[in-house]
Amino acid sequence: MEITFKFQRGGTRANPEYVDYQIDVPPEMTVFDALIAVRETQDGTLAFRGNCSVGFCGDCTLSVNGAQKVTCLINVGKTQKEGVITVQPIRYAPVEKDVMHNMRKFLWDKVDTFARGVVPNGGHPVTDEELRPVRKAMRCTTCGLCDEGCTVIDVNLDFYGPAALTKLYRFAFDPRDGITAERLREGSEIHGIWDCVHCWEATEHCPFGLEPTHLIMDTRDRAIAHGIKSGYGNKMLERHYDAFEESISRKGWLDERSVALQTYGGLIKGGLHTLPLGIRALRKGKATLKPHYKRPGADRIRKIFDRYNRANAGLRKEKQR
Amino acid sequence: MSHRFAFYPGCVAKGFCPELYESFVRVAAEFDIEVEELRDVGCSGAGLIPTEIADPINARTLAKAEAMGLPLLTICSTCQGVIGGSALRLTDPAYRARINREHLAEEGLEYQGTTDVKHFMWALVEDVGLDVVRSRITRPLDGLGFSPFYGCYLRRPIDVIQRPERKLYLEQVTEALGGTNVDISGKGKCCGFPSLTANEENAFAMTAKHLGEAVDKGANAMVVPCPLCHLEMDGEQSAVEKATGRRFDLPILHLPQVVGLAIGLDPKELGLSRHMVSTKKFVAQLQPVGALAGTAS
Repeated sequence: MEITFKFQRGGTRANPEYVDYQIDVPPEMTVFDALIAVRETQDGTLAFRGNCSVGFCGDCTLSVNGAQKVTCLINVGKTQKEGVITVQPIRYAPVEKDVMHNMRKFLWDKVDTFARGVVPNGGHPVTDEELRPVRKAMRCTTCGLCDEGCTVIDVNLDFYGPAALTKLYRFAFDPRDGITAERLREGSEIHGIWDCVHCWEATEHCPFGLEPTHLIMDTRDRAIAHGIKSGYGNKMLERHYDAFEESISRKGWLDERSVALQTYGGLIKGGLHTLPLGIRALRKGKATLKPHYKRPGADRIRKIFDRYNRANAGLRKEKQR
Repeated sequence: MSHRFAFYPGCVAKGFCPELYESFVRVAAEFDIEVEELRDVGCSGAGLIPTEIADPINARTLAKAEAMGLPLLTICSTCQGVIGGSALRLTDPAYRARINREHLAEEGLEYQGTTDVKHFMWALVEDVGLDVVRSRITRPLDGLGFSPFYGCYLRRPIDVIQRPERKLYLEQVTEALGGTNVDISGKGKCCGFPSLTANEENAFAMTAKHLGEAVDKGANAMVVPCPLCHLEMDGEQSAVEKATGRRFDLPILHLPQVVGLAIGLDPKELGLSRHMVSTKKFVAQLQPVGALAGTAS
């Protein structure tokens, strides 16, 4: 079929400069292979990344007709709109030339932060069942699409992002590893797991169904089990979780006033911080002074927390050592 | 025809967003949505409490609705997503059996995995129907621009929201009420609230982006189906203005408030005067009750 590739060769994302290339290719040909065909037949200087061409290396990620795609996994026929395929760089990675990204700072360095290999914890046998969640994370090709969709990276490029945090998961959940707590503390550093806003975009964007948002949430759960709620001394974050847990386990539901006070440093410090907004809220009738009663089933809820805390007491002791 | 639900209002609608609770109760009654409020239930965990704790708490809630033979109704995107996520995991019989055994059996409860969890917005479109909503309009919102803002949990993950068409209900409702949809690119993104304690700078950058885009495109108000988004967009708006040096002055309305206005309820009764960002200017732009559609200047 006759296809026009509108290929960005300059300008900016908002004001792209395109060069058009016409080519006749079979509709089932992948977009990546079609770009190679353009390079082979029309212009050898076209610059784009790509390697394995079978969805394994994650290198050929591009913006195609405005959507971010692994280009060797999509075919020309289904991708073209009225015979046109527009090719641009992805949004956040710096561009070296044309649509060739520099993935070093955007992705690879971040992934490497958490890529320290397994530190064996004794060499006991490991069942395949135990390894299954880790094997899922191992399938990550670092194609970067999850980072492309990430709500946090959208406002802060320093956030490690779901791809790197998938790598953290891969090791933090490895049953053969002996430094889980250390990894969870590293992942809890600023720009790490606690900066994720669990918007589920990463899960939606992953073309391999690895559900990176779910993996980050599981990693946060595991960090909490180890008693780790911040890796860089962000006391506010730790107090927030503790206040949240205390409120729900005591009353069955959330008493926002006490959570706000405790989060911002207790009655005096927290009181001073929240006072101006609190007074305005009271005056507007947004907040009330009515106390939060204890829910009828609060003791049942407390038992759920108690059971969890008992089960994880060993992990928390390990943290204190 | 009445629509019956076990009602899970969530903590915030009974805490810092009392106007959401009250406006919902008022509007629900107008559309024959009969609710029985669950009181002996716990906080969903809000995405902060580990799944190992949240799932049993939510299984307990789901079991109570199931025992009443009713679907569960939420008015908070976060409650919806978190309880919906638990409900999805609890469709696994082995997992459900363990939760029942370890946590619910002691008080004689057993969750069978049948409770449907529905947000008010979904119930309004799917159970009540937009035609019925339209037929009740006495104060069309013609001439007013509304930016929809969903909150993450009403957009994703797809296996929890179940139907992709639900991703567009919010603007469908405001348009059915006569309002103009002022679409913003971040309507399905995070409002910033979950990052307030971890990284306030990130949170404010997100909020500023959404508010700024809505204002730039001429929205008169933003509509949210999530009280946490409301706390961020309304409650933190002045702090975001201070941090970014840009004034937005954009009223943020809860979904039931917008519906209530269109069917002629009093803005004060709907709690519009209780917001942190003044809604006065917005209320002044409303047509009188009884105006015909299309008469806005």
